[in-house]
Amino acid sequence: MKKSDAPIVGPARSGAVMVVGAGIGGMQSALDLADAGFLVHLVERDISIGGVMAQLDKTFPTNDCSTCMLSPKLLEVAANPNIRIHSRTEVLDLQGRPGDFKVRVRQAPRFIDPAVCSGCGDCVSVCPVELPANFNEGLDRRKAIYRHFPQAVPSAYAIDKSGPSPCKTACPAGVSAQGYVALIAQGRFREALAVVRRDNPLPAVCGRVCTHPCESQCRRGLVDEPVAIRDLKKFIADWEMEIGDLARPDVKPRREEKVAVVGSGPAGLTAAYYLALEGFRPTVFEALPAAGGMLRTGIPDYRLPPKILDYEIDYIRAVGVDIRLNTPIGPNLSLSDLRGQGFQAVFLAVGAHHGRSLNVEGQDLAGVRSGVTFLRDAALVRLECPGERIAVIGGGNVAVDAARTARRSGSREVTILYRRTRREMPAYEEEIEEALEEGIRIEFLAAPKRLIAREGRVTGVELLRMELGEPDRSGRRRPRPVPGSEYVLPVDGVVNAIGQTPELDFLTPGDGLEIASGDRLDADPLTLQTRVPWIFAGGDAVTGPADVVQAIAAGKTAAESIRRWIEGEDLGAGRNERPAPAEGDATGAVPAPRHRPPSAAAETRIGNFDEVVGRFDPETAKAEAARCLACGICSECYQCLEVCRAGAIRHDAAPRELDIPVGAVILAPGFRPFDARLKPEYGYGRLPNVITSLEFERLNSASGPTGGRLQRLSDGREPEKIAWIQCVGSRDPAAGRDYCSYVCCMSATKQAVIAQEHAPGLTAAIFYMDIRAQGKGFDRYYERARARPGLRYVRSMISRVIEDPATHDLEIQYYDESDRWIVENFDLVVLSVGLAPHPEAQALAQALGVDTDRFGFAARTGLNPLTTSRPGVFACGVFQAPRDIPDTVIQAGGAAAEAAALLAEARGTAVTIPEIPEERDTRGEPPRIGVFVCHCGVNIGGVVDVPAVADYARGLPHVVYTQACLFTCSTDTQAGLMDAIREHRLNRVVVASCSPRTHEPLFQETLRQAGLNPYLFEMANIRDQCSWVHADQPAAATNKSRDLVRMAVARAARLEPVHRFPAPVEQSALVIGGGLAGLTAALSLADQGFFTYMVEKTGRLGGLADRLRRNLEGLDVRAYLDDLREKVRQNDRIEVHLNTELQETSGRVGWFTSRLDENGREIEIHHGAAILATGASEYQPEEYFFGQDDRVLTQLTLHELLSGPNDPLAGVRDVVMIQCVGSREADHPYCSRICCAQAVSNARSIKELRPDIDVTVLFRDMRTYALKELSYRQVRELGVRFIRFEPDQAPEVTPESDGLTIRVFDHTLGEEILLRADRLVLSAAVRPHPDARALASRLKLPLDADGFFMEAHLKLRPVDFVSAGFFLAGAAHGPKFLEESIAQAKAAAARAAIILSRRELTAGGEVAIVDQEHCVACLTCVRTCPFGVPRIDENHFAYIDPAACQGCGSCAAACPRRAIQIGHHTDEQIMSKLAVI
Amino acid sequence: MLAAGYYPGCSLEATARDYAESVAGAAQALDLRLVEIPDWNCCGATAGHSLDHRIAVNLGARNLALAAGLPRPLVVPCALCFNRLKTAQADLRSEVDLVIPEIARLGQDYQRVEVVELNTYLTTPEMIDRARKRRVHDLSGLRPVCYYGCQGQRPPQVTDRPDFENPQGLDRLLKALGAEVLDWQFKTDCCGASHTFPRPDILFRLVGRLYEQALAVGANCLVTGCQMCQANLDMYQKEIARELGRQVYLPVFYFTELLGLALAHPRAGRWLRRHMVDPTGLLAGTGLPREVWA
Repeated sequence: MKKSDAPIVGPARSGAVMVVGAGIGGMQSALDLADAGFLVHLVERDISIGGVMAQLDKTFPTNDCSTCMLSPKLLEVAANPNIRIHSRTEVLDLQGRPGDFKVRVRQAPRFIDPAVCSGCGDCVSVCPVELPANFNEGLDRRKAIYRHFPQAVPSAYAIDKSGPSPCKTACPAGVSAQGYVALIAQGRFREALAVVRRDNPLPAVCGRVCTHPCESQCRRGLVDEPVAIRDLKKFIADWEMEIGDLARPDVKPRREEKVAVVGSGPAGLTAAYYLALEGFRPTVFEALPAAGGMLRTGIPDYRLPPKILDYEIDYIRAVGVDIRLNTPIGPNLSLSDLRGQGFQAVFLAVGAHHGRSLNVEGQDLAGVRSGVTFLRDAALVRLECPGERIAVIGGGNVAVDAARTARRSGSREVTILYRRTRREMPAYEEEIEEALEEGIRIEFLAAPKRLIAREGRVTGVELLRMELGEPDRSGRRRPRPVPGSEYVLPVDGVVNAIGQTPELDFLTPGDGLEIASGDRLDADPLTLQTRVPWIFAGGDAVTGPADVVQAIAAGKTAAESIRRWIEGEDLGAGRNERPAPAEGDATGAVPAPRHRPPSAAAETRIGNFDEVVGRFDPETAKAEAARCLACGICSECYQCLEVCRAGAIRHDAAPRELDIPVGAVILAPGFRPFDARLKPEYGYGRLPNVITSLEFERLNSASGPTGGRLQRLSDGREPEKIAWIQCVGSRDPAAGRDYCSYVCCMSATKQAVIAQEHAPGLTAAIFYMDIRAQGKGFDRYYERARARPGLRYVRSMISRVIEDPATHDLEIQYYDESDRWIVENFDLVVLSVGLAPHPEAQALAQALGVDTDRFGFAARTGLNPLTTSRPGVFACGVFQAPRDIPDTVIQAGGAAAEAAALLAEARGTAVTIPEIPEERDTRGEPPRIGVFVCHCGVNIGGVVDVPAVADYARGLPHVVYTQACLFTCSTDTQAGLMDAIREHRLNRVVVASCSPRTHEPLFQETLRQAGLNPYLFEMANIRDQCSWVHADQPAAATNKSRDLVRMAVARAARLEPVHRFPAPVEQSALVIGGGLAGLTAALSLADQGFFTYMVEKTGRLGGLADRLRRNLEGLDVRAYLDDLREKVRQNDRIEVHLNTELQETSGRVGWFTSRLDENGREIEIHHGAAILATGASEYQPEEYFFGQDDRVLTQLTLHELLSGPNDPLAGVRDVVMIQCVGSREADHPYCSRICCAQAVSNARSIKELRPDIDVTVLFRDMRTYALKELSYRQVRELGVRFIRFEPDQAPEVTPESDGLTIRVFDHTLGEEILLRADRLVLSAAVRPHPDARALASRLKLPLDADGFFMEAHLKLRPVDFVSAGFFLAGAAHGPKFLEESIAQAKAAAARAAIILSRRELTAGGEVAIVDQEHCVACLTCVRTCPFGVPRIDENHFAYIDPAACQGCGSCAAACPRRAIQIGHHTDEQIMSKLAVI
Repeated sequence: MLAAGYYPGCSLEATARDYAESVAGAAQALDLRLVEIPDWNCCGATAGHSLDHRIAVNLGARNLALAAGLPRPLVVPCALCFNRLKTAQADLRSEVDLVIPEIARLGQDYQRVEVVELNTYLTTPEMIDRARKRRVHDLSGLRPVCYYGCQGQRPPQVTDRPDFENPQGLDRLLKALGAEVLDWQFKTDCCGASHTFPRPDILFRLVGRLYEQALAVGANCLVTGCQMCQANLDMYQKEIARELGRQVYLPVFYFTELLGLALAHPRAGRWLRRHMVDPTGLLAGTGLPREVWA
């Protein structure tokens, strides 16, 4: 059993469908299902819907603007209450069975709440991060906060993040380093400093003495050197000091609670600062006479000038921090006393100020002092020289600081003694460097054994040599003494700097605190709370000596804990989460060395305590900041938060996974263009003027990076000569892509035509193998293009593109048609890149358990192209095989029908009925008109002076409100429009923008939502009629816009509400034609639960397909058809009428009456919709002795013979086939689409049966498109010969007794050749069905120029007729393969189901109304109506059924008595417009 | 000291002695030991493989068998030898039964050695780092285009080169040594190879185009890693320039020579003396001290 026919186990439990991929295919599936009563989850990976079609400029073969076609569709999806768009979402897993699935999806955050975002775009202007704009194929840049294009749906913005930047993650205080670096790069120093102060109140201090863990994690270090983050921070802090314009932070309202902070070091100051910002009243108790803790007493002035520290402390004081100096905590003021004074909490940040003792003999000698004391005295009391020749013991920062301070105090010889090597030395690298520069010696692997004295005063240090042993717990190798290595260093002073501990003498037993080992305070590492709940402790006092930024981090932690403690919140909640840092992307970074601030020369600086390291100037700072690689993408600078008035930004949003119950899944993940870098011979990615076809679309698009100005990327010059290279990544086994990509021939043709239209005089060459113009109207378009002057088609594959390095012009070499070697230069080369399945579709298929082929397309499971290997999961669009937009739309509808059939019983169970606000009664109100004038981006605003038109409108009668909008159709503007209606009590609305054809329904819906009757609306088309047609006369275009607005306002004043009414629906369908398409449509409708009449003219079901045995892919057509016929016959919901002709159909959409003639018996049936599937016929050639010589036959006949019981090849040695017989000729200028594949299929059958038979195919272009290309390649490998001919050198056939002679000019050889054949097979054209014309006129349905039925819209409505309720499927629409007919038949069924699924439709509105007072029953309307609606009623007046009337207005125009008016288009309304011209 | 197997091939013993010496010198400067295959034989290029497939496979089999015991990889300075050895190795995956008993006796682990071209071996990131660290002189002032030729690159399924259209190794190495390497599109275009004598017109046209393109991007020298290419580009420069009707002065270096110069190999200057186009005029205008190249 075929999988597609697998029975459904159990009932359909869900009336919801998931559609994965929201390109044009996914959108169409979603709309068809949502309109037919199913809830649709539309899942899209990107931030907005529309897919690749949104990127296209124009579409072939009509040259329509892609955006203009797509935008209304986007809005339709957005407005549909039964479609839920899940953006940034991927599918992880699918569980369950058809009808009852559970889909697990992962939704990545947009970081902007779409429900709150107004789409204003204010955030974009402040975002400092730029990256290549993927929507523009990387041709320009966009911000990290973005949306792809103004009309995007959802209209909300989104932020790209790849995780917190490594620098931010590395910072103990969590300062957003990438954020302020990004702002510095833009010269926004004030904002940058504010970013630092969010998490660190000591930017000037940290800009000098921070250990900058951020820089050690900086990914720029992988390219060259880390960004100088610390120097940048110093720069902005000093910049502020210099300009003297302090930016004050926001302080929350003051509150009563007091908090005590003990110690004014970095931890204490930070805690107090953030507590003050929260509104608390923090008091800092400092034992010493100056604030700053170790910053003041431990860090020498040449590293941190005191005035800098003062500045920062003043800043902290200014936000409401009280600092009490000389106020030690101790016996006079205990912690309990503080509690008693009303302090609710205490933060102990007392630091570690006690120098650890040496523990060697002589440690207490005169001339020996501790490093901490030495430095403290130098800072607070006075600088004393510790001796001429001194030793400093220790390898930490205190040791180095003491050594350098001693050097500045006059010590001539300073030696640092360290027991390990430089590698282990904990002091900062740059400090050690500077110390060495200042002449300080460091003695490594030396440990003091004892201090030697004379007269109680130290005179030397006895040292032991050390060597490194095994690593200890800290990971550093443990030093061990080398026995007998003692030696003496003579000195007259020793500074001991081997470490510090906290001084905890101030604690009293009554405080209840415990002291941990190493004389440290004990506190919870996460919350810093001690055993006594109201006492918190942090900084060096808890951790032991650490660095400034860790102390700051502790201060922040304490402030948050204390806030929570006071407010009674959980102290630990959510604090242990640290997301993994972003990876960063260093590819493409050009090495650029780090900038270094100036620093004082060693010889001058040892004479003073001036700051050693200088700072950047603004330009250097910006340049250095620009080295940042923006690892996190979003820098988390929070500027968007500052400007977002809507408050929509959620920087901490997290991804979430959810399970969505659905009954079926439709996969429409689409494609990505082939990566042209994989064909390096064309130089894409290396040569700026070699671009892809999709880049060309963006360059031509008005919303693209150049505003629609086509230009070269090397120099911005407009190209005058362009080459297209076809089949880049298509028909190329070497690239792993041996299929044809279907669209590129037409797309290149379109691009060349558009380029020429934009730039008259531009010449173009298209280098190709075969032109594949197999779609409807394609060949006409191609022939027209070929006839254009300056547009050449060159049949030659190009092997390489060479650039002239001076001009960036591109050289192409090729053999032309006359075999001449040509070397030609072009300004621009466009690579027509093929379509490859979307890379993520592979993962999607895997997640869902759907098989794919070797290219990544969904594996086919039989003739029905819509099913996949997993029942209940359907596929459409390019995921199934390369195809164009109409075929994708058809398939999308077909897939919708499949899902609907599967879930028929659950229809309507998951949807919600839209709520329409009650309509405001405007009767009796004088007109109050609002006028909205649209810029349409630059479409209108680039030509028409929109503000001037809006101003003009303000002065028109009845106008009470005007507004100029960038895009009136954008969702946010729509919301604004509704607000304006309510606020200004508008009762008429005029929009001056684009075409009412595409946008009127949208605006009318907006009026309805605002409580206005939707007919109180008028549009002025100032785009098509002004800015487009008068693009070069802006002043005149503006004047004309004023005229059109004036006319629209005049009509608006006379508009009246129009009300529509319900019209019942007969929920059954009529299918005309019993071929494959008709059978498929009927069965699909029946499966969806609708009763269907099938009318077949002949006595047998099956149509042309009845003559087929196998298709090109080798599938058994006969079996499929037999099965289908059987299912139709067995189905209770299908009533088949054979030998029956449709006589007449009358009525309206939802309620038709048809008269049938069944073998002479008349039957009347009622149906709500009709599908026309009357098929086509095979041309019976008049050429090549067909019908005169029985050795000449058509492909179809050969196919029948080959699958028949007799050997048709007996005695045959040579077979010749001629393509395009009756196709692509002057009288029938269309391609019959199927004949190339038919010829390939038959040639293969011959070769399989009799490999010795020579088969030669004479062709013009082999059009084995998409995956059919694989068979074409296969038959060539089987030895079938292909010889190309030109139509003006068509083959000549001479029948002779022993065979036929065929004379043909071979273009490859350049000479005429003679072929003989035992059989001549003609690939005869597909012609419209002989009855088509008669049927068309009976049903008043249109035919195209070739006699096939014409759809409502070539691209987006390929199965609809313009007449509502009629649909189209199969070869009646144009030549098609079986699987294409099947898809279209199902699509037609899906479209019909939208009508049939409803009990009633709304009717009326813009329809004809007969004023019977004036009617004289002259029958003019009856004769005029193209739909046959008017009749003369029993009172002898004309009656026009409002439910049937199409509103075309023909009757109203024709009525000699003016007795007919069209609702919403009354004579008065029209005349009022004319009156104001 | 790093060590690798080494297959010099015949031309490095004769016409390309300059190349051979610079290879040895560069290895020395980089502290590498190249261990020559004991008793290696002809790689089978030119006549061998085009006349008799069986002989071609056996020649390769013998070399590969003898190399099996050497340090890995097996480094080959000559692009033709490299191509032959790689092809033989590929053939031996399926055609091992073509190996005659006398050679089969030497050992049959033909896939054991990894055959790499010298210019691949010396341009891995680690090796470039090694060169950078040992760099004594800066090659600034040299504006080379790198020319890789064909045999080391194609066919990619034999050479295993991912970047056969646009190889980058030499570009990276020379940049690391301070040269102002220029990009061009002719890195792997044909140099005329063995057409030098039968069809000098072809050679002149092909090499002439290479000169023009090199000059067009602003190059002042060519750098190659193949002695055939070096010879073709070097030998007829004067004549080709005359045919082009323009001045051409483009010294053609082996990349190993430039390694020698940058790493201050004492004999580097001598290697250059065998070139037809005397590079000293160019080198005199660079930052390289005279004693390095004179």
